Amino acid sequence: MTQRADNRAWLLMLPAMSVLGIVGLVPLIAVFNYAFFDIFTLQSRFWVGTEWFAELVGTPDLYAALGRSVLFSALVVLVQFPLGIAIALMIPRGRLAGSLVLMLVAVPLVVPWNLIPMIWLNLLHPTYGTLAQLFDAIGFDFDYKFNAVHTYALLVTVDTWHWIGLVVILAYSGLSAIPPSYFQAARIDGASRAQVFWHIQLPKIRPVLLMALLLRVIDSLMIYVEAFGINAGGPMGATAFLSLELGEEINAFNYGPAAARSVLYFLLVLSVAWLFRVAMQRETQ
Amino acid sequence: MTVRGLLRALAFLALAVFIIGPLVQAIVLSLTVTLPHPGVSVGDWSLVNYRNIFASPALVASLGNSLTYVTANVMLTLVVALPAAYALSRYRFVGDRHVFLLLLAFRITPPVVLSLPIFLLFARLGLLNSPFGIALVHCLFNIPIAIWILESFISAVPRAFDETAFLDGHSLPRFFVGHLLPVIAPGVGVACFFCFIFSWVEVVFARILTSTGGKPITMAIDALFTFQTDIGLVMAMMVLSLVPGVALIWFVRNHIARGFQLRA
Repeated sequence: MTQRADNRAWLLMLPAMSVLGIVGLVPLIAVFNYAFFDIFTLQSRFWVGTEWFAELVGTPDLYAALGRSVLFSALVVLVQFPLGIAIALMIPRGRLAGSLVLMLVAVPLVVPWNLIPMIWLNLLHPTYGTLAQLFDAIGFDFDYKFNAVHTYALLVTVDTWHWIGLVVILAYSGLSAIPPSYFQAARIDGASRAQVFWHIQLPKIRPVLLMALLLRVIDSLMIYVEAFGINAGGPMGATAFLSLELGEEINAFNYGPAAARSVLYFLLVLSVAWLFRVAMQRETQ
Repeated sequence: MTVRGLLRALAFLALAVFIIGPLVQAIVLSLTVTLPHPGVSVGDWSLVNYRNIFASPALVASLGNSLTYVTANVMLTLVVALPAAYALSRYRFVGDRHVFLLLLAFRITPPVVLSLPIFLLFARLGLLNSPFGIALVHCLFNIPIAIWILESFISAVPRAFDETAFLDGHSLPRFFVGHLLPVIAPGVGVACFFCFIFSWVEVVFARILTSTGGKPITMAIDALFTFQTDIGLVMAMMVLSLVPGVALIWFVRNHIARGFQLRA
């Protein structure tokens, strides 16, 4: 597609950019501003310079929370990508059956986020939870409240239930965009199923997988609602991820430190996005 | 049936159980009496939970609030995203590559990070406890998504199509509404779908902007948890909250996976 150079195109961008300016840029500037103040009320606040940042960066708490978030994010990616790609590969090309599978995996995407922990904790309810009864029957002592490994297992399962649809939908959209001639050529060359996957399908869906990867990495790194609902960061802070610590700070009305934390998180998110952009550009060259 | 076909059927069965299973218990509970109500006893099958939803003005109002802000958000998002997607698809202009990173940054900024300044800003603008405040703030992540989806659908339309319309003397707004929209209708559907669900499921902004009134369905459900929670009522509300999303999935079923081609 050839594109014409014309700076008047900015006029078409203007409405979208204005709305994003109000709901994105202005709050970001405000949060950068608050991060340098000790705020008692919005009328009485004191300049503290980089004190909050020094405090945050100087204590091990931040790195511990970052470590927990990175661990969770890594588990999420390791489970959801092989699974999502496998499902996308298995989806039959027929219109009806294919649509049915896509509709199925899309269902958890429409569940409001605060209801997701409710649904899963219901399954684990000691008196009427189906999953709890199943674990009882096989004699498995599942204790997501006090066993950190079990909390992680539950969180990864819940997150996979919630988001596998996104990975499947994106992988499937990449797969169905591959021209049939590629597969014909592979068949003529006598390529095996595995060879077709590694040498045709995977390279072709890499750009769309990268996008899915970015969305999943950021969203799991910053998981809040579901993690809070399942075990509120417990047991003993084992699942106190980055956003949960920030939420705690906001709820305690520590606006200055909360703003400093927000700034750091935003910079983290922005660096990941920038790395992703570099990877994308290398991909398209 | 071949062994491979059988294995594949089993795999999809397992997937269906994993996805639908957790919802089945919620649906069963929503149809069960879990607290004593007049005329029924605990443990019975009954529609009493659904009747109780429509008997409660607060719960009915929350449904209205949710539908209002989601609809307003989808309309606002589409109106501003369509010209932007067109510009990104058809033109090169100063800074166009940076727009991509900017959109990405807004899409992935966690709501928790912005919740405090958004609250203060919207308090000053008088947008607290109003569905339109939520509709506006959800544009933060929905505009980037809508631009991304619409751009890929517009790029699939040949340029000659635009030029014919302009030669016929159509202005840009008339071209958008009369010519472009009908051609990319599936893309508009997919964009509507994703904007609708991402607005419908979001709770961090929705919570902080409705602390004293105008509660959406998600917050109304949170408020049902008391020292003696009617879990059947909670689950009935949950089932109801899934209806619009599932209905939309049905409408976009044939196009849901189209339109995620990328341009970095």
